[in-house]
Amino acid sequence: MTAYIIRRIFYGILLMAGVVVLNFFLIRLAPGDPAEVIAGEMGGATKEMMDSIRATYGLDKPVLTQLWIYLSNMLQGDLGQSYFFNRPVTELIGLRIWPTILLVIAAQVLAVTIGVAMGVFAARKPNSILSGFVTVFATIGYAVPVFWMGIMLVILLASIFPVFPVQGMLDARLHSADWLTKTIDILYHLALPAFTLAIIYLAIYARLARASMLDVLGADYVRTARAKGASEGSVLFKHALRNAALPIITVAGLQFGGLISGALLVETVFNWPGMGTLAFDAILRRDYTTILGVLFFASLMVVIANLITDLSYRLADPRIRTGGA
Amino acid sequence: MSFHTLLRGAAAVALSAAISAPALADDHEKSGGTLVIASTQVPRHLNGAVQSGTATAVPSTQIFASPLRYDENWQPQPYLAKTWEVSDDGLSVTLNLVDNATFHDGTPVTSEDVAFSIMTVKANHPFTSMFDPVEKIDTPDPHTAIIRLSKPHPALLLALSPALAPIMPKHVYGDGQDAKSHPANSAPVGSGPFKLVSFTQGESVVLAKNENFFLEGYPKLDEIIIRVIKDTNSLLIALENGEVDMYPFIASSTEIGRVEKADNLTVTREGYAAVGAINWLAFNTKSEKLSDPKVRQAIAYAVDRNFIVKALHRGFSSPQRGPIIESSPFFHDGVEAYNVDLDKAKALMAEAGFGDGMDLTVDYIPGPAEQQKNIAEYLKSQLKKIGINVEVRAAPDFPTWAKRISTYDFELTMDIVFNWGDPVIGVHRSYLCSNIREGVIWSNTQQYCNEKVDEILSAAAVELDQDKRKALYAEFQTIVAGDLPLYWINSLPYHTAHNKKLGNAPTGIWGAMHPLDRVYWKETK
Amino acid sequence: MTDPATSAPDLLQGTGSAEAQSPLREAWRMFRRNIPALVGTAILFVIIIVTIYGSFLYTGDPYDIVWAPHEPPGVTPEFPLGTDYLGRDLIAGLLVGGGPTLVVGASAAALTMLIGVSIGATSGYFGGWIDNLLMRFTEFFQVLPALLFAMVLVTLFSPSLTMIAIAIGVVSWPQTARLTRAEFLKIKNLEYVTAARAIGAKNGRIMWRVILPNALPPLIVSATLTVGVAILFEAGLSFLGLGDPNTMSWGLMIGSNREYILQAWWPVTFPGLAIFLTVFAVSLIGDGLNDAFNPKLRER
Repeated sequence: MTAYIIRRIFYGILLMAGVVVLNFFLIRLAPGDPAEVIAGEMGGATKEMMDSIRATYGLDKPVLTQLWIYLSNMLQGDLGQSYFFNRPVTELIGLRIWPTILLVIAAQVLAVTIGVAMGVFAARKPNSILSGFVTVFATIGYAVPVFWMGIMLVILLASIFPVFPVQGMLDARLHSADWLTKTIDILYHLALPAFTLAIIYLAIYARLARASMLDVLGADYVRTARAKGASEGSVLFKHALRNAALPIITVAGLQFGGLISGALLVETVFNWPGMGTLAFDAILRRDYTTILGVLFFASLMVVIANLITDLSYRLADPRIRTGGA
Repeated sequence: MSFHTLLRGAAAVALSAAISAPALADDHEKSGGTLVIASTQVPRHLNGAVQSGTATAVPSTQIFASPLRYDENWQPQPYLAKTWEVSDDGLSVTLNLVDNATFHDGTPVTSEDVAFSIMTVKANHPFTSMFDPVEKIDTPDPHTAIIRLSKPHPALLLALSPALAPIMPKHVYGDGQDAKSHPANSAPVGSGPFKLVSFTQGESVVLAKNENFFLEGYPKLDEIIIRVIKDTNSLLIALENGEVDMYPFIASSTEIGRVEKADNLTVTREGYAAVGAINWLAFNTKSEKLSDPKVRQAIAYAVDRNFIVKALHRGFSSPQRGPIIESSPFFHDGVEAYNVDLDKAKALMAEAGFGDGMDLTVDYIPGPAEQQKNIAEYLKSQLKKIGINVEVRAAPDFPTWAKRISTYDFELTMDIVFNWGDPVIGVHRSYLCSNIREGVIWSNTQQYCNEKVDEILSAAAVELDQDKRKALYAEFQTIVAGDLPLYWINSLPYHTAHNKKLGNAPTGIWGAMHPLDRVYWKETK
Repeated sequence: MTDPATSAPDLLQGTGSAEAQSPLREAWRMFRRNIPALVGTAILFVIIIVTIYGSFLYTGDPYDIVWAPHEPPGVTPEFPLGTDYLGRDLIAGLLVGGGPTLVVGASAAALTMLIGVSIGATSGYFGGWIDNLLMRFTEFFQVLPALLFAMVLVTLFSPSLTMIAIAIGVVSWPQTARLTRAEFLKIKNLEYVTAARAIGAKNGRIMWRVILPNALPPLIVSATLTVGVAILFEAGLSFLGLGDPNTMSWGLMIGSNREYILQAWWPVTFPGLAIFLTVFAVSLIGDGLNDAFNPKLRER
């Protein structure tokens, strides 16, 4: 197992290196000179100032040299200086990555728990109204644009019935409150965005849980358990759900990239101070170094999520625990 | 008008203002509390000395003090300078500084800092005309600074405002690093009423009361938090719910309409006199299709300024007929208005040899849609009527737009440009031949050049007599309205919405780009 | 059995099942009995008819300002759905905007299939180092969050509808590639492929004429669902302000009316509903096809 983990981590690092190179060339392919962007942000620059900007940001060197410098700086934890904010990119991302992780994980947990619960109930009576509802709801949840859902929830639950705050992660006035007050306030602010993001995926898990439960409930060992007189709850949760967990874990891992994309839209609607809003600012300002940094960290999150999925998959399924990669 | 007094004052032998209200705090005004200001704009950093724009100016004027400040009647008031004198010939201005001012790090504010700061602004701020005539600054003693000018400069006193002349500590910013990218721009040290607690890029700026502020009894508030909320729907709800207390620079009529209906809010259009924001359509006068003034006039006759103001802006913005904001004393009422006349427009097109119509592109600044994108889209619909087929060119981001315009890769563009108080600071730049500077946005990107205009503007820049100056500007406005390098549409309907319980809300000529030291809560929220 | 390509269907029948009917016909029979799938087909049919009307027969210009801004629906008989922030007719926008929306969805899906199937097929068929290389390449794209990557692409290279379609295609192909690879891996060792190889058919022929037709069912399902995803993608990009202002699309209507939603709900609601209905219909069809192609799942 340890050897396997090490191999996977090593592989993940290689993958990230490839992603960095890919992004770097993509950004360099784009029309426009970063030096001009920097000069534009300052309100204009002369020819000499442009040359000095190019020298400051190393833009006067050949592209391959720039890539080399970028990669070697990256190994020392330096992702460069933001053109727009004029601050180290790592510092900017350091402030913004945690809200995104919080949002994504909260949404994932909500989606899996509610989705699986719905799916399990639907599977118990496959031909009931509830079961039909789960199928229809799943399709609807998938077809509604997530930002649209967000706007509707804001209007409904923050404007018409002001139950939840509409924007931000923490009430501005509480920046120096004690940790308990802060935590409660953050959870309060988290509720709407996390739920919005969860809706799309909730549908997927409900469907998946229903399908795999139906499979498992028909299997021999569950029949045996029932015949032995095991209680319904025990059958559902001890035997059936454990086996239905595998496809759910797989899909949860696969959905992670999609979740981050969804988070981008949800963060914009709810003004959540995460990487999505940072990415949006950076893209709207052609802040190339920040864009590269955000792409790097977003991919890193996906790679780590995939790794965790892989490991939990192995833990959940004893059969492949000893197998190879 | 009080603006006259200001300029006469500038020419006077010795104008020294009595220290009035600011030093004596009003006991009825309670201290304490937090003010949350919302902004849709993301500041790059917090130092207004090297960066223009409202996003930086609002926090910068809280953190940095400046030599002078202004009341709502355009009257200069003492700030870091307790008195000031303009010499007879208008070639030197002496500032006598207060002696109890200290920076947030405890060091005293001296004339050295003032000299350093003004020269830094001169060298780095995009508004080159503000301090252009400043040759040097003498510092005979720590509390006296004498600004020496190469020519009279009536706009100087306004340029010493908090928004334009932040006084920075020389021992922090004078360490040899480039002022534009100085690390302390994001962690500024000033001598203003509030000091920086934290700055989270793109999210918030937290400022706390400066206990050692040199104006005794101020500031009233304990804390100011500036929160960036880019989605205006969320912002408005937050304002109505009381999550946010103040929202300045509202420019969208639908937003103004909404906040006016809220019970807990006061809405005002005061506080934007010095900004003078004009929304206009710019022509690339060097483009073959647009080099003939007749074509530009035809477009002007085709566009219905009143429809834009009344229907698209629901009457919240006001028409703007010339290059100087209509609320300024220098605005010339007799300027040609180009009221909509499609027949005349078609005739002019035919005269210019474009009777069969033409294709044009129009750009716009991404962001304030109601002023920019929506009008570009309106042009697409409207100019079709005189045979012009308009393609709207979206710029996904600000730098893309700025690059297109400043490198003259455009035909028509929508733009918003500020007058910044005095025409010398904000108006001249768009019309002077000498300010056709490739690569610089908000220079004369129309590439309009008329030597007569240059002559008039240089005369107006040094004219100390208010009436003569007005006459010069009237002539200038008549000429450019005929040449029409720009078609001026409307002044931005800037409004401020704030909580009703807020006292002394910023309504001076600079609005929230001014120290908020007197703002207080009438009752606890 | 001289020409492996022409004989593939026979082989398919032979290996597929002992039933007399072909699986495709069987699938069609299943699909016809699937009520949600039929409802989806009907909705999509109506949307396509309306869109064709809007694109080819409707003569009004959706950019024309025809009335006061933000006229609510149902007040003025000429504009039953009201007007937008400039006073443009919403019905005109919906009619004309459907075309570009569907075209972006379809062409982005086509591009996704083109890239995904080529890479997946090559990878699955040849295996070995080619498979390794292509799958590593696929992974690079798979770990990049799609919307973020598409946003960067669209901003860096001009926000036109073509660029939006390309960006969506470029970010969504990896899943198709993996699916195709899996199908190819499964099929390439089946008897009839071995037989085709034995009689000397060239690789290209085996890949495209023998294996691909048999791998089609899951790919068709995936392509259908991709159309829906692409439409949602276009809406998302437009919502973020990265739409093409010169081409009326439903996404653009949502994006440009979004900031007035508190004052006027209708200019956002109707195009949103149109997008929802289209994607809903497409996914019902996709589900129906999926059930029809996988008889095992039928009973669910």
